[in-house]
Amino acid sequence: MKNSSNILFVAIALLLFTSCEKKVTLTYKGNQSRIIIEGNVINQPGPYFVKITKSVSLTATETYPTIDDAVVTISDNAGNNETLTPLGNGMYRTDLLNGVEGRTYTLAVKTEGNTYTAQSTMPQQVAFDSIKVEKLTITGEVEYNLIPVYKDPIAKGNNYRFVLSVNDKLINQHFIQNDEVKNGLVNTFRLEINDDDVELKPGDVVDIKMQCIDNSVALFYRALALMADSGPGGGTTPNNPPNNISNGALGVFSAHTVATKRVTIP
Amino acid sequence: MYKKIITSFLLLFSATLLQAQSKFTVSGTVKQQSSGETLIGVSVVVVEKPGVGVITNEYGFYSLSLPKGNYTLRVTYVGYKQELIPVKLDANVTLSIDLLDQGSMQEVVVGAKKTNDNVTRATMGTEVLNMKTAAKIPVVFGEKDLVKTIQLMPGVKSNGEGSNGFSVRGGATDQNLILLDEAPVYNASHLLGIFSTFNSDAIKDATIIKGNSPAQFGGRLSSVLDVKMKEGNNKDYHVSGGIGLISSRVTVEGPIQKERSSFIISGRRTYADLFARLNSDFKDVQLYFYDLNVKANLAINNENKIYFSGYFGQDVLGVSKTFGSKWGNSTATLRWNSVLSSKLFSNTSFIYSNYDFNVRFKSDGSETKFNSHIRDFNVKQDFSLYLNAKNTVRFGFNLIHHTITPTKAEGTDIVSNKKSRKGSENAVYVSNSWKAGDRFNIDYGLRFSLYNVLGEDTYNVYQDNQLIQSIKLGEGKVGKTYINWEPRLSMSYRVSNTASVKLGYARNTQNLHLMSNSTGGSPTDQWIGNSYNIKPEIADQVSLGFSKNFNGNSYELNTEVYYKTMQRQIDYRDGADINTVPDIESELLFGKGRAYGWEILLKKKKGKLTGWVGYTLSKTERQINGINNGQWYNAKQDRTHDLSIVGIYELTPRWTLSGTFIYTTGNAVTFPTGKYVLNGVVIYQYGSRNADRMPATHRLDVSLTYEKPAKRKFQSSWNFGLYNVYGRQNPYSMTFKENKDNPQKIDAVQTALFQWVPGVTYNFKF
Repeated sequence: MKNSSNILFVAIALLLFTSCEKKVTLTYKGNQSRIIIEGNVINQPGPYFVKITKSVSLTATETYPTIDDAVVTISDNAGNNETLTPLGNGMYRTDLLNGVEGRTYTLAVKTEGNTYTAQSTMPQQVAFDSIKVEKLTITGEVEYNLIPVYKDPIAKGNNYRFVLSVNDKLINQHFIQNDEVKNGLVNTFRLEINDDDVELKPGDVVDIKMQCIDNSVALFYRALALMADSGPGGGTTPNNPPNNISNGALGVFSAHTVATKRVTIP
Repeated sequence: MYKKIITSFLLLFSATLLQAQSKFTVSGTVKQQSSGETLIGVSVVVVEKPGVGVITNEYGFYSLSLPKGNYTLRVTYVGYKQELIPVKLDANVTLSIDLLDQGSMQEVVVGAKKTNDNVTRATMGTEVLNMKTAAKIPVVFGEKDLVKTIQLMPGVKSNGEGSNGFSVRGGATDQNLILLDEAPVYNASHLLGIFSTFNSDAIKDATIIKGNSPAQFGGRLSSVLDVKMKEGNNKDYHVSGGIGLISSRVTVEGPIQKERSSFIISGRRTYADLFARLNSDFKDVQLYFYDLNVKANLAINNENKIYFSGYFGQDVLGVSKTFGSKWGNSTATLRWNSVLSSKLFSNTSFIYSNYDFNVRFKSDGSETKFNSHIRDFNVKQDFSLYLNAKNTVRFGFNLIHHTITPTKAEGTDIVSNKKSRKGSENAVYVSNSWKAGDRFNIDYGLRFSLYNVLGEDTYNVYQDNQLIQSIKLGEGKVGKTYINWEPRLSMSYRVSNTASVKLGYARNTQNLHLMSNSTGGSPTDQWIGNSYNIKPEIADQVSLGFSKNFNGNSYELNTEVYYKTMQRQIDYRDGADINTVPDIESELLFGKGRAYGWEILLKKKKGKLTGWVGYTLSKTERQINGINNGQWYNAKQDRTHDLSIVGIYELTPRWTLSGTFIYTTGNAVTFPTGKYVLNGVVIYQYGSRNADRMPATHRLDVSLTYEKPAKRKFQSSWNFGLYNVYGRQNPYSMTFKENKDNPQKIDAVQTALFQWVPGVTYNFKF
């Protein structure tokens, strides 16, 4: 309900005509650099990539350190097992592995004397039909709702993640949908976009990548989406989101299906 | 353990009863002469017997039992002229007393010694809000606001601008029992905390008890805010009200039976959206709230009186057909007072309370609605027994039936499977206010509380957030029963005529819990009762206090230290969306809390300048399994310093200038400590929970009131106010964003709600 909460907040603030924003300088607590593992297996032909970096303090301006000497393996429950080739810059690549719907993939990373494992199951693909653009006029301003059109299967437990790019710029917001409230129907819920840094105008080119994800990846991105809620009351208390990688590594390992659609705002 | 508590209680009780056998009783009701309103908490003492006296109860009733003789009763109450009344006691006497209003804030000294109420009574952690004083305190938009004024007291903290609710002695927002004529009010604010649901024109009295309430109160851990509505003028008809920039209010009151019964109707509405709609851009915006308070009483005979009170309030917010939100409380109370004998006063209440929250939004032609609601049916029976000059006993019971519906989704193509939950919350209590010695007062009591988890619904049982059992309860069947004993104790020892030391201990339990997804409160928060997983919360509070009056009672100093432990506190797992998760109980985490602090309040009660300075130094922490690695962390409402300075200066009898200054440390929050890139976007890393602080909030508000000369019956006044005089941007929220020009740099962006907010209100009465 992010955007609707935003409307509530905006309406009250507008009403009072006095709310304001400003940049402030804060002091931050010290950061403990943690290992960040990013791994994706998709339902299109490989190669697939794993990226291993380390986190830095909030005020740091240098590039993120990478780990290039890890031993990274991905196996699946069909008997395949592969050690990934290090490419430098924290990247590791598969050569033979296939991303297949329904399979469970297991990632293992050995570095700095520690082992980190993760597991993710690729769901069956749900077709991405199209993107519906809904134009609204709210308090005199024109706003656009983006509604991903897809038909949710009858079975319960489907989770979807959407990645949004506007004019080829990747938007740093997290969009999650599931079938808890409406199951087995064509989706009518829009993406809850926080318009602080996204203002759609006619002519903007919108790319939406739809991913069918498993429960552990859905929990990760849902936690991020709930923290970012800036409606009345604010979001949930921020925390490192619960992820599917063991031993204290941050990041997420996701086996998912992909489909991309593009639309231009009329 | 409980046997020991009950036995010692009974021993203490019978020991106190064996004191002084008294002969005759003088009893009656104390009222305001001009309106016939009963007055609560009026001190009635016997001049000839120092230390012998009582205070009037919630219905203005008092009763004193003394040996046969001639006495003088001294009757005192803030804002009214003291009365000295001779009584010849050779039989039981009914004596009703009328008090006259004082002309100005300056107290007129009549007679010898002043009563030092705060010094002699055993009550601790209690502040009574004087409605006459509250009328002069500036608040946002020039609206007198009971809840905002209470937050100027030490120990009571506002949750911040634009936030719902308040926190008392480190407790959570849902740990305050807010009663309006005995009916619980679940959401005490409009427009997200900008206004409270109490229309001050209809309120007679408000008391906040910070944790050690007498045994007739129970059900919330941290405080009781007991608000009593006016009865209505039973002598003449009056209309009063005010017209302001954002809202207006009107009150009509008058007699039903002259000098015996009355009614009062009070309404308030904002109309900010009407102004906004003048701009065609905003023509679809709906933004308003209204309150309606209705009360009537009827005297059946001299001993029996019936009261009806009702409250209806709603907030409406909507933007065209795409989004709408409505939430509100309604309460209704029917009460029957009966003076059963000169010593025994009875009150029977039937109460209905309902809180509803609805959100609907439309997307792609489909409508989705979320609804959550709580409804109570409540029967209360309370007796006040004025046993003898040294003992006033209260006893009774309270039965509540709750129906709670967690957030339920409905709408186009939505299959809703969430059901209402039912529970019954019951209590029996007894307490005694005992004048144990010349310098010693002890209030002690015991409350027994029992909660039944009822069907008809399926209750899931979880262990470590995994489902282990599913229990289906039939309609009306009792699934689980929780029992708790709550001892309450409060003692005062008078070290001199003007000073006393106090000690208190109280246990409180809470059976209803507010689930909130957000760091501030919001109307989407939902209530839930005990279940197989959720057990009653328990708080134990110990407090030590000192009170002293200076300079002939013109200054009053009250200071207290407290320590409180809380058990069975609730929080959620990360990633839990309380609005869509099928069973919220699967996401719960449990643990404990502790809070401690020092409060000091210095009041200046006489002279042209009156007011107070309140300061609290405190800490409140939680330890929840599954959060922050099981380590103690600051609760979000932890704010180290909280200072309030209130001044009311009578420039001339017609012009009054008042000002409020507040300073509070920021809330405990979690700022990021680091960052990393994941799948192409920056994500923030966090360390310990709530180890950071928002910047401090401080603000000065001023208000100027001009009372126009009264023309025959018509009185009026103008109030000009400026909220946030020096325009400080007090932080409402903090977000972290990549700098547009240099994405490596993270900016902290603070949002503030109000800078300068002027207000003008015209008030009238005829």
